[in-house]
Amino acid sequence: MKITQIAGFLGCGKTTLLLRLSRELAGHGEQKVALVVNEIGEIPVDGKIIEETGLRVKDIGGGCICCEVAATFAKTIYALYREFNPDHVLVEPTGVAVPHQVKLAARMGGRDAKIALGPAIVLFDATRPAELLDMDALGQLVTTQVKDANVVAVSKVDAVDPGTLDGTESKIKELNPDAELLRLSTFSGEGVDRVKELIMTWKE
Amino acid sequence: MTDPLTAEKGCYTEHGVSGYGVAVKVSHPTPLDETQIKNLAETMMLSIANKCMARGARCIGHIKSHIMSEAGTMKADTIGVSHGAYSSGHLSHPVAELYMAVNSIVQGIREEEVKAATLEGIHEIAEGRGLTVDKEKEHTYFDEFDFTASKQDFIKQLEEQFKDTEQEADPEP
Repeated sequence: MKITQIAGFLGCGKTTLLLRLSRELAGHGEQKVALVVNEIGEIPVDGKIIEETGLRVKDIGGGCICCEVAATFAKTIYALYREFNPDHVLVEPTGVAVPHQVKLAARMGGRDAKIALGPAIVLFDATRPAELLDMDALGQLVTTQVKDANVVAVSKVDAVDPGTLDGTESKIKELNPDAELLRLSTFSGEGVDRVKELIMTWKE
Repeated sequence: MTDPLTAEKGCYTEHGVSGYGVAVKVSHPTPLDETQIKNLAETMMLSIANKCMARGARCIGHIKSHIMSEAGTMKADTIGVSHGAYSSGHLSHPVAELYMAVNSIVQGIREEEVKAATLEGIHEIAEGRGLTVDKEKEHTYFDEFDFTASKQDFIKQLEEQFKDTEQEADPEP
């Protein structure tokens, strides 16, 4: 059972990618895929959207799985292993979650289960780099997310000009030169195959 | 002058993200079609975002909604006024009653401000179009988590959570 997180700040397209990836990974029933979606509040929105697609989803609300409800997340991972034993668990943390702490919580859930960790994929919204990297506002959080990533996927690339995109990628490379950097558009499909390949082949 | 957001603990901490979620029932005397409902939801999302910024927010995380009706479901969201609003989904026929879940997550203002902006946006846009709004359930959120905590501290925190949840699940006789 491999656990892969699709992280990144609010509004960067995590749920949309998760839906597409889960279908692609599942193929025609060759792989069992489970989804864990974490929403800060107790009024779920993303979980409802995903449930409508008929996919198996566990919605954890009432806090963030990297901190406040980390134990609930860890127990969910173990329960999924015991009851469903999927090949892949795709985790969508809240937009304020810190990837390395989600990994720690997942490892804790896997103490009694055979799990492998997939890459920490962090989406970075190409349409608002200035807002996300403004150190007087979100910068501290977003740079932590980027630095924690194994893969940074610059999302919504179909919505920005190439010059802006180049500038954004340079800033991300400065923050995390070790991460694989890719361009993603769930709308056009750009980058989705590479994300899928990374999830399938990743070894940690 | 002291920045009211940093002057007291309880709202603007490490990254100052506050949120509010509400589920409402929205009714209209006559059925509304898909285009009218999409327009209603998109306008509502932008109105809430606008009101949050007017109250001093530094950034909109997202304003997101999920709409349920007997004719199908829709969703609408925005990540900021300048980004516009986006909606999707379909209704098979016009409906007079909708259930909406709205989730607003914003940086830089207190959760009470997010709540006020969200409710004002919902009521103003809905009632301006002749709809009535009944609140079903709500939830506020304030993120005071220290994401710079050391790995050891975090593991300790996790172990404590485990202990607590195990005790809840298996209370001593």
